[in-house]
Amino acid sequence: MTEQKYIVGIDVGGTFTDLLCLNSESQELLSEKVPSIPGRQWEGVLGALEKLGIDYSEIRAFVHGTTIATNALLERKGAKTGLVTTDGFRDTLEIGRTRRLIGGLFDIKFVRPKPLVSRDLRVEIDERVAADGEILKTAAEVDFSLIMEKFRESGVESIAIAFINAYRNDENEAAALEKLQAMAGDIPVCTSTGVVPEKGEFERFSTCVLNAYLTPVIRTYLDTLAGELEGQGISAPVNVMGSNGGVMTLDQAAQFAAGTFLSGPVGGAGGAVRICEMAGVDDCITFDMGGTSTDVALIHQLMPRISHTNQIDAYPLQVPQLDIHTIGAGGGSIAWVQPDGTLEVGPQSAGAMPGPACYQRGGTEPTISDANLMLGRLPTDRTLSGGLELSKELSEKAFEDLADRLGEGAGTPIQLADGVLRIAVSKMAGAVREVSVHRGFDPRDFALLGFGGAGPMHVFLVAEELSIPQVIVPRFPGHLSALGQLLADLRHDFVIAWGGPLDTLDIAEFGTRAAEMRRDAAALLSEDGFAEGRHEHTFTVDMRYVGQSFTLSIPCDPDKASWDDLREAFHNRHEQTFGRADRHSDVELVNIRLFSLGLIDKPELSFSADDAGDPVIECRQVWFGDDWADCPIMDRTKMGAGEVFQGPMIIEEAGGTSVVPPGWTVTVHASGSLDCRRRYDD
Amino acid sequence: MKDLVQLELIRESLIAVVNEMRANIIHSSYAPIIYEGHDFSCALMSADGRQVAQGLADHPIHIFAVPYSTQQVVATFKDDINEGDLFLHNDPYTGGTHLNDVLMLQPVFLGGKLGMFAAMRCHWNDVGGMTPGSLSGRVNEIIQEGIRIEPTKICDRGVMNEPFMNLLFNNMRARSERLGDFNAMVGTGRKAEEHLQRLYKRFGDGLLSGVEELIDRSERQLRAKISERPDGDYFGEGYIESDGTNPDPLVVKLKLTVRGDEIIADFTGTSAQTNGPTNCGPAMALNAVGTIVKSFLDPKTPINQGSFNPITVISEEGTFINARNDAPCGGMAECKFLIDSVVASAMGHVAPEMTVGDLKGGANHVIISGVDDGGGNYIHYEWPAGGTGASDGTDGSNAVRSFNEGDFNSIQSVEMVEGQFPLRVERCEIRENMCGDGEYRGGFGLRRDVRILSGRGALSVISEKNVIPPYGVEGASNGAANSFVVIRDGEIVEPSDMPGKVSGFALRPGDIVREETAGGGGYGDPLEREPEKVLADVAENYLSEADAEARFGVVIHGGSVDGAATKARRQAMFEEQITVTLELSNEELADGPRRQFAVPRALADRIGVSDGDLVELVTGRGAPLRAWTTIAGDGEAVVVSSTSMDIIGTAPGDRVRLRATVSRPETAA
Repeated sequence: MTEQKYIVGIDVGGTFTDLLCLNSESQELLSEKVPSIPGRQWEGVLGALEKLGIDYSEIRAFVHGTTIATNALLERKGAKTGLVTTDGFRDTLEIGRTRRLIGGLFDIKFVRPKPLVSRDLRVEIDERVAADGEILKTAAEVDFSLIMEKFRESGVESIAIAFINAYRNDENEAAALEKLQAMAGDIPVCTSTGVVPEKGEFERFSTCVLNAYLTPVIRTYLDTLAGELEGQGISAPVNVMGSNGGVMTLDQAAQFAAGTFLSGPVGGAGGAVRICEMAGVDDCITFDMGGTSTDVALIHQLMPRISHTNQIDAYPLQVPQLDIHTIGAGGGSIAWVQPDGTLEVGPQSAGAMPGPACYQRGGTEPTISDANLMLGRLPTDRTLSGGLELSKELSEKAFEDLADRLGEGAGTPIQLADGVLRIAVSKMAGAVREVSVHRGFDPRDFALLGFGGAGPMHVFLVAEELSIPQVIVPRFPGHLSALGQLLADLRHDFVIAWGGPLDTLDIAEFGTRAAEMRRDAAALLSEDGFAEGRHEHTFTVDMRYVGQSFTLSIPCDPDKASWDDLREAFHNRHEQTFGRADRHSDVELVNIRLFSLGLIDKPELSFSADDAGDPVIECRQVWFGDDWADCPIMDRTKMGAGEVFQGPMIIEEAGGTSVVPPGWTVTVHASGSLDCRRRYDD
Repeated sequence: MKDLVQLELIRESLIAVVNEMRANIIHSSYAPIIYEGHDFSCALMSADGRQVAQGLADHPIHIFAVPYSTQQVVATFKDDINEGDLFLHNDPYTGGTHLNDVLMLQPVFLGGKLGMFAAMRCHWNDVGGMTPGSLSGRVNEIIQEGIRIEPTKICDRGVMNEPFMNLLFNNMRARSERLGDFNAMVGTGRKAEEHLQRLYKRFGDGLLSGVEELIDRSERQLRAKISERPDGDYFGEGYIESDGTNPDPLVVKLKLTVRGDEIIADFTGTSAQTNGPTNCGPAMALNAVGTIVKSFLDPKTPINQGSFNPITVISEEGTFINARNDAPCGGMAECKFLIDSVVASAMGHVAPEMTVGDLKGGANHVIISGVDDGGGNYIHYEWPAGGTGASDGTDGSNAVRSFNEGDFNSIQSVEMVEGQFPLRVERCEIRENMCGDGEYRGGFGLRRDVRILSGRGALSVISEKNVIPPYGVEGASNGAANSFVVIRDGEIVEPSDMPGKVSGFALRPGDIVREETAGGGGYGDPLEREPEKVLADVAENYLSEADAEARFGVVIHGGSVDGAATKARRQAMFEEQITVTLELSNEELADGPRRQFAVPRALADRIGVSDGDLVELVTGRGAPLRAWTTIAGDGEAVVVSSTSMDIIGTAPGDRVRLRATVSRPETAA
């Protein structure tokens, strides 16, 4: 019997598929990067596995991050979905709260995106629950056979059940579920309260329908995947990253498709937590920059922030997700001239094809990568990892054309390239502000962690824009997302609507409710195969001033909680977030939330220098600030733990290039990460 | 180059500050109208009160009035504006909107000098006055609409004027909610100041010179766009149906002149101000012209004061669009949206490719208030959206905010409403069949039934286009009019003898308030609409099969279009249309504010109208011209005045389609 020692993380991106394989005995990491094959992603994955040269029978598990849910939604390739709802409310999905939700101001030709369920497939039944939970009309007597017949005739592939006030009493939804499931055969059926038992019909219906719309897509994808692996003689289970940063089993993912939208980017946040732990940093903001977009997330006390109110495209999505903010700025983002003659960068991207002008694949538009090349940050005499050879002439040509379009004041192509980079950096800094300042945190209290293909090249500039004094660049920055997947724990989220003004609440009952939640969670984790010692439960409560609508999430330990402590924590948080606290106002509790982890074994990661020796590869002129500077180019594998270097310098390694401006001091941390610091004059 | 880059950085940064202000208000306010309804806006103003930046969800109706108010504050306090000051304002006559929209200005000192103002304008749910919610359709003077605040310093170098604030809050309902929203505004001003200081530290005085350059660029951009259009005079006209006290309409008349790189909007001839709520201050006309010109000519670039500089507005003081004390202004949104409609109809001739069907015509303020069983007072306020207008290549959207509005919520969540008030929402759905027909059809409005479960209640409504519906363009039909009624014991009860203007109508338990909102006007001839698109609307139950045939001439059999029958039906419908010859009258034909056409009796009978009914001339270009019928003569010609000829660009002897204006499509169902 062979030892199943390998865990494989697979990050399927738009351009590349990243594969990271951990040998849990030797703690050795193997990595492979292959081009993604649209529509047939598993061919790429199998190819990469083969290249790794490991024995398939020694694979213990796969962890997979996928953008399949997002893509299916954006391309409107989800399942044909039927909705069963309360009489009078078939159009809730369409009317929403009558907001446009995306743009539209001054746009005469604005067209609101259509709901995911066509109107003829939204069927009303005569049921009703009152606001206090009383059943006014029962669903138990409703004959669903005609509805089912209509759905079958129309080719419905998935069914959503969503009733008004079901968050107060889900009896009618449960009755409808039971009856429809009995008739539906293979067609998946879900209820709004099963997906998100929270108040607010539009958001809950929308989330339920998104879930129904994507469930068959996810199921088909995962079935195919499991089948392909089986065909190769691989029996190891495949787990899927969930939007909450935890791992889902294949079955869970098939039940809860709406929980997989951020399956791709969450891996990076998980990997970042591990890197921070190893580097002794508690608070960081992740900066994951790829070819077309940049993802940022805030990690406070080694916990990624969670957001409960989200939106994808024009559709509200009310499930807990890591608070990851994505903007359309990446290495391939294009610089262009706006109608009023000002300069703009992105969100259009040259993508992988034709790619930046310097890729020599037919692209003519100037991109961020072209700007970096012109400014000396990328090599012109050596190929990039991946075998790409860059043409500086083509970049210069693209920037000359841009200068012509801008006309007077455009300056030299070099100045223009520098300007384009500054604008891109400003946008990315805006994304960092979004997850920090907007949430009541000061980014200067955080380290900025740069990873992804283009992250280390821009992270220092973004840090300087925000006066952030510390930057961390992990080893293998291009593979951090896949690393995060390897390290992710299994996660379940729970919420109950319980509360009221604090003065009226009984702390003992709070403890009882919390204990019930914890007991249910523990039972689930045990079913998942986690022994009790491997469970971890964390509670938060949603609080607000009486009369307010939006809540702030306050961490708490139900066994030790007191209302006074919680009230004080809330006041402080409110003041920090919104500029003032109303200490005379009553505070109320709205929801109790719990997330429970099934902890996996964490490998001891270590990244040591491959071999000693002079790390300097060459010296060249690189543009920093307003001028050229002599800058050493370093080989990261030769930078030993504890060594200290002064910027400027460029640090190259497989899958990432760090551009360190003057003023930064770089220390190679024992964990392998580069710990970089600078001061700012105030 | 440095400047161009810096400019972009400054623009992005300022918009980011406004967005952060928005987030702050939403998350810390107390009244659902703000945190749910988003009836508030934020902006940055220059030290002399010009508009610098707004966000993409902020409502033009709030923002474009802010420069007026800010300039009043600057003119009033001159050198006495200091760090730590705060100003409050809501006076419509000096730049306010209606009294409920309270503006707070926080001066921000940059490098020791007044640099900018952070502006927060929030709709306060009640500002006193005669009915809960302060807005009602049957007021006679502004005193009845609440407290009027001219530019007032409420905080002097960090010291709040507590007696004044107490006076204010003591005269408003739901004091603690008012106080909470006030505090949210104060906190937001502080945050905005923090952000601006950070930007000043970074850009120095380049921040302020950058702002000037951005304003200049916006102005140059709009001037260039105006220059591309032919010089000339273009006309528009529209009506407020009633001021709520008097059944006569009010007219807005517009001559819009394009001359070189500027636009002059002359509203001479517009009706005098009234005793009812349908008046507005001087900021609204510029606001409307600015919004529509921007949308037609330059929709894509961010907006600031430069977008207004090429525009001149002429409006007489004392007209209802430039009202003086003590005209009530609760219906200012109705006035503003009417001016929008009129300007859009004129701009449709300036930029025909942007011509768009008309919109629901106002805010549709609906206020249900009452006393619950526990004796507590409540105010529930919503302002339901309608369908949007169609344009070339694009159907209107259903029940959603339109292009000239900020991205507000307007329909409160059913579960929130039912959880808070003794009300039950029995349905909230698309108002089927009620679109404006066209080659591209207008969007559908919505229907919402709200039942009073217990206690006493009262209904107030201010809305427009309950009688005169949103027009279609390029030959299309109008959308259905708005309608607000009460259902009592299964019977429809009109809560007012003036549709759409209701003031404190007493509601009993069991009553249902039924809100039905307008459909958007269509674009182009409905007989030219692709039959497959009509079929798709039928398949999704937006339109009945009978309506598809009666209104679009599309015959559907067994779920598919009968091509031959459709062709025949459309030919027959075309032949049934009435085309008339226009004859010039030597004098203006009008009855007070009402434009008139002289229609021979036989012709009137054929289109089914009698004396005093509303009709419209449809040229197939732009909006139709509406007038009231006066039966006269017995020939085949319709007699109209020279101003009528000007508005629709016709000459005596021209043949034009004449039809009755119906407040809702004549559905087959």
